[in-house]
Amino acid sequence: MNDDMDDIQAIFFEECAEGLTTAEEGLSAMQAGDVSAETIAGVFRAVHSIKGGAGAFGHADLTAFAHRFENVLDEVRAGKIVPTAGVIKVMLSAFDLLSDHVAAAQGQAGRPADAAMLEALDKVLADKGVAEDGDAPLAAAPVAAAPVEAAPAPADDADEFGFQPIGVSLEDFDAPAEPVAEGDWIVRYAPARGDLANAGEPLLVVREVESLGGQVIAVDTGALPSLRDLDTEESYFAWTLRVPGTVEQTSIADCFDFVSPDTRVEIVREEAAPLPTGAAATLSGVDDLDAMLSMVQTIAAATTEAPAAPAPEEAPAKAAERAPEAASQTIRVDLAKLDLLLNLVGELVIRNSILSDRLSSADQQRVELPELARLTRQIQDNVMSLRAQPIRQAFSRVPRMLRDLGAETGKTINLETTGETTEVDKGVIEKIGDPLTHMIRNAADHGIESPEERIAAGKNPEGTIHLSAEQRGARIFVRVKDDGRGINREKVFAKAVEKGIVAADAQLSNEEIDQLICAPGFSTADTISNISGRGVGMDVVRSNVEALGGRVEIQSTPGQGTTFTMILPLTLAILDGMIVRLAGQRFVLPLAHVIETVQPESGQVKRTSPTTEVIDNRGDFLPVKRATEIFGLNDDRPIEDSLVVIVESEAAGHVGIVVDTIDDRREVVIKSLDQNLHPIRGLGGATILGDGSIALILDIEALVSAPVPAPRYALKGIAA
Amino acid sequence: MNTEDKSGDAVDRKIVTFTLGKQMFGIEMGSLIEIREWEEPTPIPTVPSFIKGVTNLRGNVVPVVGLAERLGWEPSAIHPRSCILVVSIGGKHAGFLVDEVTDIVNIGSQEVQPAPDVEIGEPHVIHGLVRIAARGTDGSKREHMQMVLLLDLDALSLTSHLDLAA
Repeated sequence: MNDDMDDIQAIFFEECAEGLTTAEEGLSAMQAGDVSAETIAGVFRAVHSIKGGAGAFGHADLTAFAHRFENVLDEVRAGKIVPTAGVIKVMLSAFDLLSDHVAAAQGQAGRPADAAMLEALDKVLADKGVAEDGDAPLAAAPVAAAPVEAAPAPADDADEFGFQPIGVSLEDFDAPAEPVAEGDWIVRYAPARGDLANAGEPLLVVREVESLGGQVIAVDTGALPSLRDLDTEESYFAWTLRVPGTVEQTSIADCFDFVSPDTRVEIVREEAAPLPTGAAATLSGVDDLDAMLSMVQTIAAATTEAPAAPAPEEAPAKAAERAPEAASQTIRVDLAKLDLLLNLVGELVIRNSILSDRLSSADQQRVELPELARLTRQIQDNVMSLRAQPIRQAFSRVPRMLRDLGAETGKTINLETTGETTEVDKGVIEKIGDPLTHMIRNAADHGIESPEERIAAGKNPEGTIHLSAEQRGARIFVRVKDDGRGINREKVFAKAVEKGIVAADAQLSNEEIDQLICAPGFSTADTISNISGRGVGMDVVRSNVEALGGRVEIQSTPGQGTTFTMILPLTLAILDGMIVRLAGQRFVLPLAHVIETVQPESGQVKRTSPTTEVIDNRGDFLPVKRATEIFGLNDDRPIEDSLVVIVESEAAGHVGIVVDTIDDRREVVIKSLDQNLHPIRGLGGATILGDGSIALILDIEALVSAPVPAPRYALKGIAA
Repeated sequence: MNTEDKSGDAVDRKIVTFTLGKQMFGIEMGSLIEIREWEEPTPIPTVPSFIKGVTNLRGNVVPVVGLAERLGWEPSAIHPRSCILVVSIGGKHAGFLVDEVTDIVNIGSQEVQPAPDVEIGEPHVIHGLVRIAARGTDGSKREHMQMVLLLDLDALSLTSHLDLAA
């Protein structure tokens, strides 16, 4: 079914995203100097998995590109290409293009032009390819057309080539089999080239010899051609085994009963001085094994053309041994199911409070209601944590962005990150992407100076952006800190005056001036660069962050840099709210905005026009909004009987909102209104109260900037 | 889920019938989620008056619409048999205030007559007329034929009105 296919595709793209994150982390680590085998293998696996999945879904372009990229990675992994800075740079660019290809496969972008990149990759491959051919074939037994195994093992992916069970541990070599008086048998076994085609099973033969106590001491890979010429149907390997001298020669010969006639088998007594030879053999054996391992991987990779099977054979085993964190098991769950669970738990919480409303405290104790409530709360916390994801996901696209920005501006910008493991609700992660992008752009474009400027200022010519996340209580702080020139306050102020944002004679504190750059339509870029000239700026950051119930702080030290801090709620599902009444109806006012509550005295609230009022709050005249008017609710309560809640809004500063009374303060589960309705101005959602009734959540920003009074909408005719 | 196969033979479909004032209406059974007793919803400010508010449907906030008012009839008065038909329209849920749910009937497609062209107001909201045998509500077993107005929920396009409200 199509839907099923789409679901599976969706999973594939999710995996792609994960794979890209892993690959990028690995490449960044390589760039930073970590070229350990683990890191390289991690990148390889990630790209390999993407290729496999892409093949399965018929994304030909993506598959083709990933394949070429993988070739290079593979050689790097095999140690045939040294990951120099230059090579890593090519790989990073290739990674960027791979991301583009994934986006294209997802239909989010057009097919990227990859010809130049492919050429670059091939060049890397070709240059090293020469060196590789020059590599002397490994050691030992110059068995002429030494063939051997690479048997696509019988349709068993998990053990594709049947290599891994060759039980050779290095200890075995450190303590070679005891020399026996007669000397050990040395068995050389070189399957014929076409052995596999004739159903020969070299591996079984080797195993049989092993079962006699034999040990593989060398594998001749000299016949292995370069990757491009590899024919997976051919056998290229030859083995040298040592069998204890006590074993009968005939028993050994029996093992080779079923090999094809062209196969070369030699069984000879090891010559005198077994110990030294043994030691030498051991050493070369070790070398050979390492080399062989990489060969095996080479072949495995090259032949895993068969799509799907995203490297299942190596991934689990290796991941387990290299990363202790991988020890915790995970399971993939549809987000919709989690949301449903969250809803149900929310209801459970509500039912709990209904019960506690209805039962006397004595009855509550009797039915162990407090215990139930505690348990329910714990379940709720846990379900919420299921949606939590490390913020790394939001950070993952930053390195790429900085590379692009660096290329565009000619600046070299290093990225440091801390706190990527901080966990945040998935919804928040999805929504901070845009503001984060803008903040990074701003730092790279306006904050960090050109290299010349930096040198002149006595700074490191390379700029640094520090990206960090930390959790404090129910909030998360996401910081973008640059070591650039800082905010030029004179220039900002002049610009603000020019744009009519502030009066020329306004007296503003440094902080207030810094905040101006978040004012709508503000931009300090003298020339609109390709990067910043997208018609949007920090004002978008501010409005996006506010839409999430957060705020933006700016700190700047001239000449030393600027720090932007987004302060966001950890979750979009729960809100700390004040239950207020408007014209008798209950509403929730988000507590984060509340500064203080004033019981107005007669004359404290004054009209400044027929539709505007102010409150004299300790000498400050603050505008007052009547939500009842904005909402068209009937309310003839005198102002003296009402309360004025002073709220802080980004758009209008401190504003008083008139409410009847304040009922309560509590955490509420946010239910979106626009799931079934369209968004309604002034309302940020709804919640379900303890008695099962609904209270609407006020959207302070919309409320304070609402035109007063909003005309009550009337349906004119049914054909509207 | 349209209902005629190639031979032109009608395939039965199930219709839920209900009354708004004296008129009998029907909607496809498939779009009905549940029928609930009337319960005063939480009013929402600044929306058209036919939107009575929102109610809590098992943890979801669902708008309640005065259907009679929406269709241009007199607003329904609330009485003991008032109920809310919770329906699904294009993936969104809404509750309709109706006077009384009367029956679930099978009709054949060939029984449905198109609504007359002179239909006033929004076109296509009433997508057909059908006559059904209604049971007497006065306890009598005698059946009589009654006209049912078939509502096209998609054409009601509740949400476009809410757009205006936003």
